[in-house]
Amino acid sequence: MSEEKKGKAKKKKSKHTTISIPTPLYKKIKKRIEGTGFTSVSDYVTYVLREVLASLEEEEKEEVFSEEEEEKVKERLRALGYLD
Amino acid sequence: MITVIAIDALEYNLVEEFNMRNLKQEYYGKTDISEFSEPRTMVLWSSFMTGENKEEEILAKGDKEMWNTRIPHEETFFSHFENPFILDLPGYNYDLEQHERERRLLKEFFMEKDEEKKREIRKKYNENAFAHHRKIKERFLEALEGEYDFILGYFSVADVIGHLNFGNRMMMKMIYRDLDEIVSQVEGKKIVLSDHGMKAVGVFGDHSEYGFWSTNFKELGRPKITDFKSIILSETK
Repeated sequence: MSEEKKGKAKKKKSKHTTISIPTPLYKKIKKRIEGTGFTSVSDYVTYVLREVLASLEEEEKEEVFSEEEEEKVKERLRALGYLD
Repeated sequence: MITVIAIDALEYNLVEEFNMRNLKQEYYGKTDISEFSEPRTMVLWSSFMTGENKEEEILAKGDKEMWNTRIPHEETFFSHFENPFILDLPGYNYDLEQHERERRLLKEFFMEKDEEKKREIRKKYNENAFAHHRKIKERFLEALEGEYDFILGYFSVADVIGHLNFGNRMMMKMIYRDLDEIVSQVEGKKIVLSDHGMKAVGVFGDHSEYGFWSTNFKELGRPKITDFKSIILSETK
């Protein structure tokens, strides 16, 4: 392999990293993706993680601290002894 | 041998909604805590471990001193065991510094007016709670390998995180999933018990007026939190 190709391969590799998941979960996913468009467990895990992150970000974006609710919960936390 | 997984603020309706099978076990339901004027953590766990309603005694200490309650071992049903392992239980041996840190950050959050700064404080508050949870989880799982005749592990994460994030379903589901997995690793007779549940106030969480129980050995109906002393002792005879 030429140096240029090696460099490209190295660059391509660095776009991904390795994470560990429990083996039983890996096997469960492998079975689940049979007959679906997913060609590997990695693809499926990446898809699921992107979905989870998008949902979390969406929830956080929509979240507002309403003054009324804050007052209500503050009062309750005082009654429960969490706040003085 | 019996193991109690004591989970602060584990909410019946969320366990149902998320269908957490290990948290539910074979038998599950709500506890009756109507004899207490408010669902206060320190009062409820103190009443659980002694089998007596401790509300008057605990409230007499005042809001600040209440959190420093340490019920002597011989006044608890744990003294009926030869070698019990009790992990981080309020009113017995929980980490006071950790709890003070949580209350300090909670206060900071509510005092701050700037939205961005509030989010920063909440992030710190959440990180602190999750770090504590990881430590407790590790110690609890280690204890399962030990030679104990009774194990109780107390998990505060659903309560602490819930107070500032209960409206974040995704985050709550991740917490419940983790707790569910912890329960799945316990062998033998086990009880999952909460002091009270939690209800949403917008993005925040307030204590609900009932607790959660489940067992893998007995139907309990709608027990009081003070009933668990005799339930546990009769099962371990």
